[in-house]
Amino acid sequence: MPDYTLISTPPLAGYDKIFGTTRLHAPADLAIVSIALPLGAEDAALKAVKSAYGAALPEPGRSTLTKEGARLVRLGSDQAFVIFTHATPDAERAVATRLKGTAYTTDQTDVWTGLEITGPDSRTVLERICPVDLHRDAFAEGDAARTVMEHLGALIVRTGEDTFLLLSASSSANSFLHAVETSIRNTS
Amino acid sequence: MIINHPLLGPRDAAEFIYLGDAALIDRPDWQAEDAMQQFHDYAYLRDNPAGPHRELWYHEQGDRSWLVVTRDTTTHEITDVQMARDVARSRGRDK
Repeated sequence: MPDYTLISTPPLAGYDKIFGTTRLHAPADLAIVSIALPLGAEDAALKAVKSAYGAALPEPGRSTLTKEGARLVRLGSDQAFVIFTHATPDAERAVATRLKGTAYTTDQTDVWTGLEITGPDSRTVLERICPVDLHRDAFAEGDAARTVMEHLGALIVRTGEDTFLLLSASSSANSFLHAVETSIRNTS
Repeated sequence: MIINHPLLGPRDAAEFIYLGDAALIDRPDWQAEDAMQQFHDYAYLRDNPAGPHRELWYHEQGDRSWLVVTRDTTTHEITDVQMARDVARSRGRDK
């Protein structure tokens, strides 16, 4: 059998642009693993997450940054994402091992693409394409929402004062990037 | 139109898709004597009220949950939103 290695090529790898005071970039080595809480055994899974990450899984619509820098995002009553930096293609195993089989885990790394937007005008840019209310008082730091932007499914997480992590499907990564770039140009 | 999701707060209707009358939750027993008649009614007969209507909405571009939304069909005013899972459980379903 021929000896070969696979090279990871995320669609927006290396993208990093500054538009005035707004910076838009694709975080490197972003890994995403979904956690589904098993019906009837939710408590055991929640306990395992807490002991594995030192932080409880937050309420739906909220996220928590753990000490090691992984972000736990609760998307619904029985589903969550772990978003972390992981360069090798074994992110799912890394999470599954820590949860010791108490929850269903699926690797989502390849099907999502990430963009981080930061700058004082980030809300002005996003309010044109994001139907969720992003006002400081309505969308606090750590808040997360699964929604649509320019007809593309997206996940938005407020990771800082004026910083948002945007995730969308990798198959339409460039359309999503175009939507955000266009909104930046339209509002600057 | 904005649907106030019980878990996630107010969300734009564009994130949802509509299925129909919430009576679809009450699927008939296929082993009943008159199962044929019951399934006929379940599949084809609907009320068409001008006023409050309990209906199923799916949060497809969100947490993929099913909701029971009470909406006035003449004004689109939404008076109540519940998780369909809770509604089904309150009607004796185990899941």
